[in-house]
Amino acid sequence: MNKPKILVVEDDEDLLKGLRIRLQAHGYDVVVASDGCAAVSVACQELPDLLLLDIGLPVGDGFQVIEQLRSLFSTDIPIIVLSGRDPEHNVARALRSGAQAFFQKPADNEELFAAIRDVLGEATQQISG
Amino acid sequence: MLQRPTMLVIEDDLGDIDLLCGLLVNAPPPEFTLVHADRLATGLARLAVGDIDVVLLDLSLPDSQGMGTLHILQAQRPDVPVVVLTGCDDDARAIQAVQAGAQDYLAKGSLDCHGLVRALRYAMERHHLQSLVERVRQQDLARKDAFLSHVSHKLRSPLSAIYQFVTIVLDGLAGELRPEQHEYLEIVLRNVNQLRTMIDDLLEVTRADTGKLTVTPRRLSLTTVVADVLKALHMTAATKGVTLGADLPGDMPRVYADPERVRQVLTNLIENGIKFTPAQGTVTVRVQECNDQPDFLCVSVQDTGCGIEPKDLEKIFERLYQAAASIDASRNGLGLGLYICKELVVRHGGRIWVESQYGHGATFFFTLPIFSLTCLLVPILIRDNLSHIVLITVEIRPRAKRPLTGTDDAALHEVWRLLECCILPDRDRRLPRLARTKWSETFFVVTCADLLGAATLVQRLQGQLASCPVLQKTCLEPVVSWTQVESLSLASDTPFAQLVAEVVRSVEDTVDTTLFQRRDEEYE
Repeated sequence: MNKPKILVVEDDEDLLKGLRIRLQAHGYDVVVASDGCAAVSVACQELPDLLLLDIGLPVGDGFQVIEQLRSLFSTDIPIIVLSGRDPEHNVARALRSGAQAFFQKPADNEELFAAIRDVLGEATQQISG
Repeated sequence: MLQRPTMLVIEDDLGDIDLLCGLLVNAPPPEFTLVHADRLATGLARLAVGDIDVVLLDLSLPDSQGMGTLHILQAQRPDVPVVVLTGCDDDARAIQAVQAGAQDYLAKGSLDCHGLVRALRYAMERHHLQSLVERVRQQDLARKDAFLSHVSHKLRSPLSAIYQFVTIVLDGLAGELRPEQHEYLEIVLRNVNQLRTMIDDLLEVTRADTGKLTVTPRRLSLTTVVADVLKALHMTAATKGVTLGADLPGDMPRVYADPERVRQVLTNLIENGIKFTPAQGTVTVRVQECNDQPDFLCVSVQDTGCGIEPKDLEKIFERLYQAAASIDASRNGLGLGLYICKELVVRHGGRIWVESQYGHGATFFFTLPIFSLTCLLVPILIRDNLSHIVLITVEIRPRAKRPLTGTDDAALHEVWRLLECCILPDRDRRLPRLARTKWSETFFVVTCADLLGAATLVQRLQGQLASCPVLQKTCLEPVVSWTQVESLSLASDTPFAQLVAEVVRSVEDTVDTTLFQRRDEEYE
């Protein structure tokens, strides 16, 4: 079976690298983008199984990325938001716009990976069912 | 100010009005335009129309007497300056009035034109300055709020990178570690977590200052939360050689509180206790009924540490305050923890305080309100309705069997808000969130409608929930069902209060039965 492919969208280079190492160690295929515009084009080329998405990004923020992906793809790519922003207002907004989960930075690895497994598992179930 | 100011006189004695008019005839320009109201209610109605620059208020009116008159006016119209006018010349009352927000206090007997006009003009000027100061303060707070959220947002990315790389190395993803290296990195990790807590605290304080600190109360077993927190802190205490003790009676009533917030307060207090208690000491948590407040439960956290100096007892809950001993004991924290605790407890309607004999440990106490269905239901319970009351349950659970996540929380909160929009406030009650398990949450709506009305409401709820985008997104599904609350043997001469008590008990029983059945399903 192919490894699930995760697109990590993050403008902090160091964090991006760290997330990549961590995700690869968990057996995922990782592609990256560091701004909103690149995120959309990489998503179109690579057709990832999941997006790990920052909100505060240059050239189109995370919410705009979600919006564009929703209009481009007929099936929704699952999205987990990983942002430094206050969850107070942003969780509801992210969910409403179509994300599956919201984590505030720094996210606990265990919780984050539980959510990733969960979201990927759900997605495969829906396709096979 | 050359415009003619308008003064509203709220006064029921026509003779006094004439007296005032007489005095103002000789006033230097710009003259006052005088508007009159003979009751507090008509005065408030006139104020609602607008264009009043100052109010001259008699405290004894047909519909309101004494200082209460001023309180009501101040509460409803803080934007208009008030000068109190009264028959009795009493210094104590004058001070009281000014403390309550009046600009000045004039005795009817000793009025003259000059004094009256001056008092009114000064009142308007002072009030204008006060509102300027208040506006600047609000702008200041908003600016500080924006600054702090910006800063804490920016701090999180580098912190996140540090966390990620430290755990990558710790988990051996970059090669094997020697024991010392492992130990040292654990120290880095601990400090990363501390820094994260500090950033969270900073934001929390800003929220408290700007009134945005949210508390989402539900019916809650306080002893369960205490036991959870004790379990979580067990290791921290053991590492320091401190014993954690608990006195948690099993038969305590539930409280009405936000579980996360209670956990936050408890964690803070117990961690503090552990921090200031030397090895071999104990920190004991107790839950008990409140002696002086029968509607509250009281939690206490007692330590055998160094205690608190009497001069610090009051100040300890102030923001950024740290007792001298506390600075020596640790460089942890920003001195915001207890301030946040106080804000949180107060937002629940409770109290927090500390008792300590210096050198012999300290005991922190806080109270939380006991959950009362009666208060919630009484407004919709009318005698005619008591025989047909329907309990609607809305269970929300993940479509695939999985535990609820933090993200689901937000969705569940939206659902709870949605319920409030579907009901009729004079006939239906949405109960607080009280039934969250690991696998699902159940919401309750009590309706005093007949069966047809209840069916309509159920249909409306089902329709709204079926088209709720947040539920679809998070793969949660709603299950709506309803039961008629067991009808009572209503003798026509039973006192109303007793009927209400029975209805409430029977609603509570139905809720408990429903939840109990759910719990059985879960164990299967």
